[in-house]
Order: sequence, then C-alpha cells, then structure tokens
Amino acid sequence: MIEIKHLKKVYAGQTVVNIPQLEIKKGESIGLVGNNGAGKTTLFRMILDLIRPESGEVLSNGHNVAGAEEWKNYTASYLDEGFLIDYLTPEEYFYFIGGLHQKNKAQVDEYLLTLTDFFNGEILKKGKYIRDLSKGNQCKVGVGSCLLQKPDLLMLDEPFANIDPSTQFRLKNILKTENKNNGVTTIVSSHDLNHVTDVCDRILLMEKGQIIKDISTNSSTLNELEEYFGVGQIVAPEITIDKEENH
Amino acid sequence: MISTFFNHELKSFWRSKNTGKSIAVKVIMGILILILLSYVVFFGVFLDFILSKMFPKDNLTVTFCGIILIYFLGDLLMRMQLQELPTLKVQPYLHLPVRRNSVVGYLALTALFSFFNLWPIIIFTPFILKVILPASGGIAAVAFLLSVIALSVFNNYLAMYIKRKANLNGWIFLMAGAVLTLITCGDFLWHFYSIRSLSYSFFGALLLKPYLVLIPILLGAAMFYLNFIYLKGNLYLEELSSKKASEYKSSTEIPLLGRFGHVGDLVANEIKLILRNKRPRSALIMGLFFLCYGLIFYTQAIYGESVKIFVGMFMTGIFIISYGQFMFSWQASHFDGILVSRINFSDFLKAKYLLFTIVSTVAFFLTTPYVYFGWRVVMIHFVMYLWNIGVNTTIVLFFANRNYKRIDLSKGASFNWEGVGATQLLLSFPLLILPYVIYWPFKMLGMANTGFAALAIVGVVFIATRSFWIKQLEADFYTKRFKIAEGFRNK
Repeated sequence: MIEIKHLKKVYAGQTVVNIPQLEIKKGESIGLVGNNGAGKTTLFRMILDLIRPESGEVLSNGHNVAGAEEWKNYTASYLDEGFLIDYLTPEEYFYFIGGLHQKNKAQVDEYLLTLTDFFNGEILKKGKYIRDLSKGNQCKVGVGSCLLQKPDLLMLDEPFANIDPSTQFRLKNILKTENKNNGVTTIVSSHDLNHVTDVCDRILLMEKGQIIKDISTNSSTLNELEEYFGVGQIVAPEITIDKEENH
Repeated sequence: MISTFFNHELKSFWRSKNTGKSIAVKVIMGILILILLSYVVFFGVFLDFILSKMFPKDNLTVTFCGIILIYFLGDLLMRMQLQELPTLKVQPYLHLPVRRNSVVGYLALTALFSFFNLWPIIIFTPFILKVILPASGGIAAVAFLLSVIALSVFNNYLAMYIKRKANLNGWIFLMAGAVLTLITCGDFLWHFYSIRSLSYSFFGALLLKPYLVLIPILLGAAMFYLNFIYLKGNLYLEELSSKKASEYKSSTEIPLLGRFGHVGDLVANEIKLILRNKRPRSALIMGLFFLCYGLIFYTQAIYGESVKIFVGMFMTGIFIISYGQFMFSWQASHFDGILVSRINFSDFLKAKYLLFTIVSTVAFFLTTPYVYFGWRVVMIHFVMYLWNIGVNTTIVLFFANRNYKRIDLSKGASFNWEGVGATQLLLSFPLLILPYVIYWPFKMLGMANTGFAALAIVGVVFIATRSFWIKQLEADFYTKRFKIAEGFRNK
C-alpha cells in the first residue's frame, strides 16, 4: 500500500524525519507512537504530499505521491482542524465531501445514519458551524468525513486526544471493523498506548525522526512500550500494608 | 503589575503577524498613517480659516464653541463603527494569581490607546492656542483643552460600554444607533433643539467660568468608573469576547450553482465563506460602497474619459481586486484539507473564475443606473467589465500563487494588516497600469473609441482562452504549493 524509501526531512538543520525504508502492506493496521517532536505528524504530512521531503519518496500503490492525484481517490485523512472547512455546518461539509466522491445527498444521509452512535447526537442538526464545535466534536466530524469517503487507506493523527471515553471506545470499534471486515489499511498515531496496542496489529515507535522499533502486537507489546516510555522515571515504591495495623 | 501588562502589550504589537515582517509593509503603513495624520493636523491648524470661510457672518469663537459637541456626536458614531474592543488579550491572565483590579484597570486603560482619542486633541488644540489663548487667557485655554480631552474620554468609554453590552445582546447596538439617529434628526431635520446652541451655551460659559470644566471631567470619570465596574462584574470570557451569542445556524444551498457540478460546489462554499466570516464580508460591503464611486466622478465635468476607465474598472471589479488580492489566504485555515481532498486544482481555479464572473456581472448590472450620465458611461462600464473578468481575474490569480500569508477570517477588515505583503503592492501595478497601456496610445492618436474597442477585444480574448490560462496557473501552482501550504500553516 505505502512504501517509503530514504525519506528525509530537515528543518533548520535538524533532521526531523529520517526513514530509510518502510513498507506498509494492504490491510495492515499501523499504530504510530513516539514522544512530542518525534516526527509523527511530519511523516503523516509527507505521506499526504503536504510538505516536500528533502530527499526520498513515498509510494502509494506503487506511484509516487508527490504531485499526483490518484492517491487522493482512495486515501482519507484527518490530522487536525485545518482539514475542516470551519465556516460550514457539519451537514454542508459532509455533503461537500460526499459530492467529491460522487455521492448524492440521500446517499450521504444514509451513510451518516450508520454513524449515529459515534456522533452521539452532537454533530448533526445542531445548528452550529464547525468552527463553533468543541475540538472533540470537530474530531468526530473529521473522522466521519474520512469514513464517508470509503477509503482504502485511512490516516488519523491522534484521534483519541480530544474525544470523550465513550467516543474513544466507539472509535476503536470502528477502526477495528474497518480494518478487519472492510480491509481498510489504517495508520493511527496516538499517545495512548492502551488504545494503540488494542487497535493496531503493528506498532511503529518513532524517536527523533527515526523508526526505532517495529513490533507486531502481542500480549507483551504494551509492557515493552511502557518500559520504553518510562525510561529514567522513578517507579513509585509499592505500597506495603502492614497486616498488623490493618485489622 | 500594570507595567508588566504594558510590556507584554508592546511585545504583542511588535511581534504580531499583523505588524508585518516585511519592510515594504511597514513603510507603506507608516506613510499611510503619516498622510492621515498630516490631514488631521492640517485641518486642525487651519480650523480658524475654515470656520471663518464657512460661517463668515458669525463670530469665530461662537462658531467654534458650536461645533465641538457636534464633532463629538459624529465621533461617537464613528467609534461605535470602527473602534475595536481591547478584550481577549486578558485571557492568559485570568487564571493566574493576578488581582482582578489590575486586570480590569489594565483593560480599561488600554482602551485609551486609540487613534480616536488623538484626533480631537489634534484638531482642537491649534485653534485653542491660536484664538482662545490670546483672547481669553491661559486659564480658559487650559479649561477648554481639558474639556476636549475629558469629552473624548467620555466618548471613548461610552462607545466601549455600548459595544460590550451589544456583544451580549445585538439589539442594544441597534437601539444605541437609533437613539443617536434620533438625536441627530431632532436637531438637523426637525429642529426641536440645536446642538450648536447647546454646545455654545456650555463652551461660551466656560470662557468666563473656567471651573465649569469640572462637568466634562466628572462625566468622563463617571463613564470610566461605569466601565470599570461593568468589566469587573463581567470578567468572563464569553462576555468579553467579541463573539456574539450564537443563534441557530442553518445549512443552506445555492441551487443555481448545482448545475456547475464540482465547480459549482466550490463556488457555493466560497460564497458561504464570504457571507459567514467577518473580514471577507466587510470586503464585500466595501465593494458595495465603491458602487457610489461614479457619483463622485461623473458629476464633475473636469474628469475626462480616461478617469472613467479607472472608475468603471473599480465599480465592476472592486470585488476581484479587494477580495482577489488575498486570494487563497481566505482558505488558509483549511488549505491542507483542500490539498488532500479529491478537488482537482483546475476545478479549484475554475471556481475562482466563476465566482469572479458572477460577482462582476452583478456589479455591472448594479451600475447600469449610471446610464443617467449617458449611454457612453455604460459602454465604458461594459468594456471594463469584460476587461475585469478577462484580464484582471487572471492577473489576480497569478499573484495568488505567490501569496503565502495566513488570514484570520474572524477579524474586521478596517486597519487590518494581516495577510498584507509585497504581493498586494506588486499586484496593484499591473491592475492600474495595464488598461492605460492599451488605451492611451489610441487616445493620443485621437482614436479613443478604437482604444475602448482594443480593451474590449483583449478582455474577450482572455475570456476565450481561459482554459489555457487555467493550465498555466495550475502548472505554476504545482511548483509553489508546498510553500503556500507551509505559509498558511504558520499562525
């Protein structure tokens, strides 16, 4: 699906992304983790041809994404609010996006019905422009518009960050069904290790622009990640309860 | 504490994106402010001349005393329209251990730093020094000056108070406007009373009894105090911010555009962008004002036909110029979304052409009443309309590919320098010069009509070859899109 070769991005003399080789196969679900500044968003942007890499290339279905239009037909993404047209109402935005994919209003409405749970009654028919929604609800609009496009490749940057626990739970289920039942390749970044290890079959750990670990998820993955991110931290001593005093 | 606030304020001014990084913008900004200021200074210094020319029969001091209150009435109207509330900047301090009185005091004090408070002082001080001081002595002059300052402080805080109240309830603004209109009409239309004689009765008395200066000072202080109290009681974000209480926003469709397919959808979006955001909306409204341009120029015989080219171009194409000069910046906040979506860039450009054509066509029809000044005027308008939708749209879009500045749509347009850069300056040259490059040679040879024909032909040729220009612009865009997108991401 996605193949990255010698991809490098430098900002002000600092290498922020440096990936010599990475292949993402069709139908994989990828979790991208790493501390702030590890280069996750920059990598996303380069895959989406939003910033120009210093060197290297990103191939999507075998074609270089740079300057091409073909990949846009099967790629849906939501990185931040900058992807939403904020002076439209959510309905208008969905119809617009649907229209780009040759869906008429009735078809869009029909699809949105399946997202009723996910939207939790906070998106549609609320009489608000997208800019007046909270960040979490904006995220719902973004994710909803991605799903509406019926993509082969779905890319979300920290989708769990602003949404409430119920929505996090629903989003995880949506991601799993899209991946398992519809064969959608998903790339999701997150700071929440529980979510990522739950949703994704393969975890990429980034540090200073490089992918330092490439793990296929199993029962010990979460521990492995927690160990990495907990480096240098003082572990609180276990609380011992004196049996004598605690009658 | 307040000095720290001022320090931050200065930093925010010099470091803000509006102030502009490019020297060109700073220079132009400086020149404009200087020109404006010199007009005001000029007006102030020669106020005695002007008054004696306007009212030759009356005593100079009497006229002067009469106009002061009238000035402040107009001043209040202008402030209510243009003066911005110094508000949301306090947000980062509200949750810190800073005393509320300092925050409120700072908010109330910064409101004084407005050009509007400078004007009355510049306008009236020279007259006071030239006429009042020699005639009535130093104490009266000081009393006059203090009254003027106190009244402008009063106006300043009254306007702020009305605007703050209006933020919570839009009707208040209308009511205040209606009251001001009634006051104005009561004097100038219905002649119930005369603000002039009221003004004179106070300022005339001030000449003899300088202690009366206490009245305006008390008024100003009371208004300041009212603001202070109000702010202190309402130091909540929703009440401070200039966001109006939101009503139900409904989804709308523009059915006619549906037949243009994707391009029509894009135009519909852009029309919504214009109508639903403050800054583009004010650009549009300014365009409507420009439709009156003809009344200024056509009523005076001294302006020849070459001026009409300019006027015609502005009236039918002001939208292309005022909105188009910031092109793509308007969509800066969701430009990433546009780039990754399935929007074909040539469709994107076609939508711009369509939008410009629609608005220019509407503007052309709105200018047809100028037929009153002869059919030739309408002919010139039509020629310039063709020129606008042919040549100017292409020029504007060519420069749009070179514009990398983000614009915040929610700010007003007046005195807003955000998004202004060298592009806009460069853009104005071809817009202003090109039509004359074609017209004047013919005019010199005594063939003005052929000159107009040439303009029309060039316009039509450009319209006919649009698809070619779209291809060129698209290719050009692909070389610059990373730079554009990156610039737009910079808040």
